[in-house]
Amino acid sequence: MKKNKQLALVIDLNVCVGCHACVTSCKEWNTQGAAGPLNDLNAYGENPTGTFFNRVQTYEAGSFPNTQTIHFPKLCLHCEDPPCVPVCPTGASYKRAEDGIVLVDYDKCIGCKYCSWACPYGARELDEERQVMTKCTLCVDRIYSETLPVADRKPACVLACPTSARIFGDVHDPESDASKAIAERGGYALMPEWDTIPANHYLPRSITETIAAVKEEN
Amino acid sequence: MHPNFSLVFFTTLAGMAQGLILFIAAFSINGNTFPNDFLAVLALPVAIALLTISLLASFFHLGHPERAWRAAHMWKTSWLSREVIVLPLFMGTSALAWYYAFIGQPIGAIWPVLILLAFLLWVCTAQIYQCIRFIQEWSHPLTMINFIALGLSSGWLLLGSLILFWPDPIAEPSLNIFSTVGVLFIFLALTIKLTVWKRNRDLRPKSTINSAIGVQNFSVRQTSMGLMGGSFNTREFFHHQSIAFLSNLRKIIFFGVYLIPILLLIYASQSSSYSLIPISLLIHYCGLIAERWMFFAEANHPQNLYYQRIS
Repeated sequence: MKKNKQLALVIDLNVCVGCHACVTSCKEWNTQGAAGPLNDLNAYGENPTGTFFNRVQTYEAGSFPNTQTIHFPKLCLHCEDPPCVPVCPTGASYKRAEDGIVLVDYDKCIGCKYCSWACPYGARELDEERQVMTKCTLCVDRIYSETLPVADRKPACVLACPTSARIFGDVHDPESDASKAIAERGGYALMPEWDTIPANHYLPRSITETIAAVKEEN
Repeated sequence: MHPNFSLVFFTTLAGMAQGLILFIAAFSINGNTFPNDFLAVLALPVAIALLTISLLASFFHLGHPERAWRAAHMWKTSWLSREVIVLPLFMGTSALAWYYAFIGQPIGAIWPVLILLAFLLWVCTAQIYQCIRFIQEWSHPLTMINFIALGLSSGWLLLGSLILFWPDPIAEPSLNIFSTVGVLFIFLALTIKLTVWKRNRDLRPKSTINSAIGVQNFSVRQTSMGLMGGSFNTREFFHHQSIAFLSNLRKIIFFGVYLIPILLLIYASQSSSYSLIPISLLIHYCGLIAERWMFFAEANHPQNLYYQRIS
């Protein structure tokens, strides 16, 4: 299994500024594709709600006065052993053998929501209007596009990020930028306690240590 | 989790029908305990009707019920898929038994098959919840034991009620047995439920906000979940009720499912007032609706760690 390609994102928590550009670009790209829209309900009403593949959350770590703000992009981690896939009764949820992307076939999904229960990360969102389960596709329709310029054949969130906080690549290829970033900068997986082996990794914040070191030097 | 009434009714009604058929089969396996008419006109039609209603109820939790036939496809990996296969098999075999009773032929070899299928369906239904390893409240054999125990108790009381309603007296098994053994079944179910509640109270969540975002060695709190208007994640995985509501509901479950039926059945067996059997079944079943609602509400999903503060 390790020999196969496994596309994934490596997210650098040092530089994410929480601007939500990845959220809007993800929504923009994925709501207009051939796979159908990501619907919003009450978009202009009192309680708007909608379907997104990607969210940016904010956390505070430490205690005053030594606190850090952590902006945390959250999306499907394309687990190597995805618990959401075997529970699907119809086979609509699947993991591609060729590149490890976890996808939903919207034409087969019966909207039973069982896969969302079986994801500890809450990475799946039911589209309330289409009544099918949706999730991050790693922009499968962009990265293999033959009409887009080669430089644009990356997930929309990666291209939109103003601080290059997202590194896209094959985490099974030790020579890829993504694998190197994980190896050199201590990339880690979320909730390792469930043995889902997420393909996406996060790069821990080391920026405060750098600042402290610079202060000490001066 | 957010309790879904479609699943509450499905699991309780099907469980009761499974218990009913199981006890009919267990009594009939060594010869004709029940008059043929009782099986053909009352007991088996009621069981099949309950299964049909529960099947219809289960469709209401699907976004695309018209595609439900696809759900039998992944039986090799999915317990939901296995349930989708076993339920119609169970219904079909029950219908076959009913047909044989209707034309007055011996049902014989179908009875053990029905007992097997009843248990198989309980296994499938419970495993759907039990196999999700990170919902710690569910991920334990007690989930299955609880489903089976309450299916047995409600099915037992239903069989007793049907015998009571049948115009010709049925001597064996006597209504006194239904009262006394009913007390035992419900008491057993109560012990299981109390064990479940104690286990849930003592559970330590394996996932924490630290493991959720991978920041160790610091106290971490969320300052924004990244959205303001709610999403599927804020609706599907939490019951949205107050602690007081849950604690009151737990009392209702304790009295409705267990204590009141136990007391009524003890009184019924002491005073031979067997019309209390259907009354205790009614209270028991209403309690079961609350019990199954609570089964979902009590389950804590680790994804909620990511959805704690709007801003």
